[in-house]
Amino acid sequence: MPNEATLLKDETVAPEYLADPAWIRIRDLIYQVSGIYQAENKFYLLVSRAVRRMKVVGARSPREYLEFLTARPNRESEMRNLLNEITIGETCLFRSLPQIDALRKVVIPSLAEAKKKLAYTKLRFWSAGCSTGEEPYTLAMILLEETQSTLKGWTFEVVATDLNDRSVAKAQEGVYNDYAVRNVPPEFMKKYFTKSGADYRVADSVRPHVSFSRLNMLDDSKMLFMRGIDVIFCCNVLIYFDGKSKTRTIQHFYNGLLPNGYFFLGHSESLFGINDKFRLVHFPGATAYWKAVETSVKAGTP
Amino acid sequence: MKTESLDRLRSRIVKIDAMPAIPVILRPLLRCLDQPAEQVDMNRIVELVSYDKSIAAQCIRMANSALFSRNTPAETVRTAVLSLGMWRVRDLLFSNSLSQVIPNNRWVVDPSVFWRHSLGCALVSRRFAEIIGYPDPEKAYLAGLLHDIGVLVNCMVAPEEFKATIQKATIEQIPLNEAEQATLGFTHCDSGRILGEAWKIPPDLIDAIELHHDIGDPNRGGPLVAMVHLSDLLCRLRDLGYGYYEPRQVDFANEPGWLYLAMQFPGLADLDMARFTFSLDDYAREVGELVATVFAGRGAS
Repeated sequence: MPNEATLLKDETVAPEYLADPAWIRIRDLIYQVSGIYQAENKFYLLVSRAVRRMKVVGARSPREYLEFLTARPNRESEMRNLLNEITIGETCLFRSLPQIDALRKVVIPSLAEAKKKLAYTKLRFWSAGCSTGEEPYTLAMILLEETQSTLKGWTFEVVATDLNDRSVAKAQEGVYNDYAVRNVPPEFMKKYFTKSGADYRVADSVRPHVSFSRLNMLDDSKMLFMRGIDVIFCCNVLIYFDGKSKTRTIQHFYNGLLPNGYFFLGHSESLFGINDKFRLVHFPGATAYWKAVETSVKAGTP
Repeated sequence: MKTESLDRLRSRIVKIDAMPAIPVILRPLLRCLDQPAEQVDMNRIVELVSYDKSIAAQCIRMANSALFSRNTPAETVRTAVLSLGMWRVRDLLFSNSLSQVIPNNRWVVDPSVFWRHSLGCALVSRRFAEIIGYPDPEKAYLAGLLHDIGVLVNCMVAPEEFKATIQKATIEQIPLNEAEQATLGFTHCDSGRILGEAWKIPPDLIDAIELHHDIGDPNRGGPLVAMVHLSDLLCRLRDLGYGYYEPRQVDFANEPGWLYLAMQFPGLADLDMARFTFSLDDYAREVGELVATVFAGRGAS
């Protein structure tokens, strides 16, 4: 896990350096490999992070670095290193506000309405690859907040899993520094955190709703048990999987979701070329994949 | 909208003489651009730019901005036009002339938000057209740019009611046309059609203006309407909208307009919609620059 000092110290990049067409090719390559898209307004970040890697490997120009990513024998591990750099610092509480708005204003009301008809008033969220717990706690706080309105009288649980034991242990502690809570709205801060020295501790009212465990998403036998889920979050995790493992994991996600369930990736991450069952849906400022309720609609009929 | 109520709206607009006048350069510009890109006459464009001092100044300012600046600064209209490229100059001409259609003090909506959305929709429509292989991407661009001109009419014809309509749409988080139907009894799609007819805009563009919210039977408006409809929807979902939150879930691949286009343009099946969506953030920057240029110019005059 990177420390804050490295997080905040992006390399400075001259504007004309950004114009090198090799960056576009690197951007496209990253998308093909990982499904993560760096729009031009995020180019500065991409470039400054890549420059760090260029220094490590000794590439003198973006073009030469492109060669490190495509033609050198250790290109795959270099791509992983680059992806690591790019996704550093992405983890914090309330990371993507458009995703949170989509949950509160569209997804949760839609799930509530559909499930109410079945007289089943429980929701189950899964944070897959939860790292040090920022995402599952965020989800639990939002769901708790919704039990005041849309989900009055409902119960819910957030299942949080990660491959890394140390991350899971740290997640269970649920203590964060001010950098990790920088996006948390004040009203949530007040309600769901207590001050603990210089840090912030997740309140006891939140904790019982989140269960942490270690899980290897490539372990088919374990993945088979993940069933009856309404919403899955899996942000910037699948980018490290090869094509086959990715396809298999997504199949597990699909099977694990209830009909009408949703699957969220990182805010600019897509299931590039590996999804045929999920439907891509758009919300304001966010996208997700939706497991449509199966009907016998024939393709092509408006 | 029923014909009789459309007629009533038409007579109401004519009676109070509130119809926005067609900008002077709009018709020659439309004529000039209504031909294949390689035949558009650069001299004519330079002439049109020079016609309006404030537009000429904006072209030069934009050519010298961080986004386009070259080693030698552009000092004449001609060098500015060459540096910006014909299409960007055309964008400036259009947005400028249209932004002067109604006086500054008559805007009910925030003009910069309005232009951001219109230009965004224009760019997205054109990109969409290019990707699927629609033969005239520039027409798609124009249709996207003009699709909301009914908003200008509404600002002029019913300023107070329209203000209340915008508030209703913002508070209730509903599409503008629904709020208009409830409060005004007509929508910017209806008033846009009337303005388009008065301005003698080509009929397929008028269809795009009228049907962009509700395309009805896709065969009526054809591919142009379907593209503008989808682009408008996408812009509203990606920070190029009306500036308020519309909580909704859109499954583009199952929208009637999409299904209709898919039958005619096999290229649509290859479109990576997620990537297309993410790349809109690139447009947001371009649009922002353009809108800033147009409004910087207006503020100075």
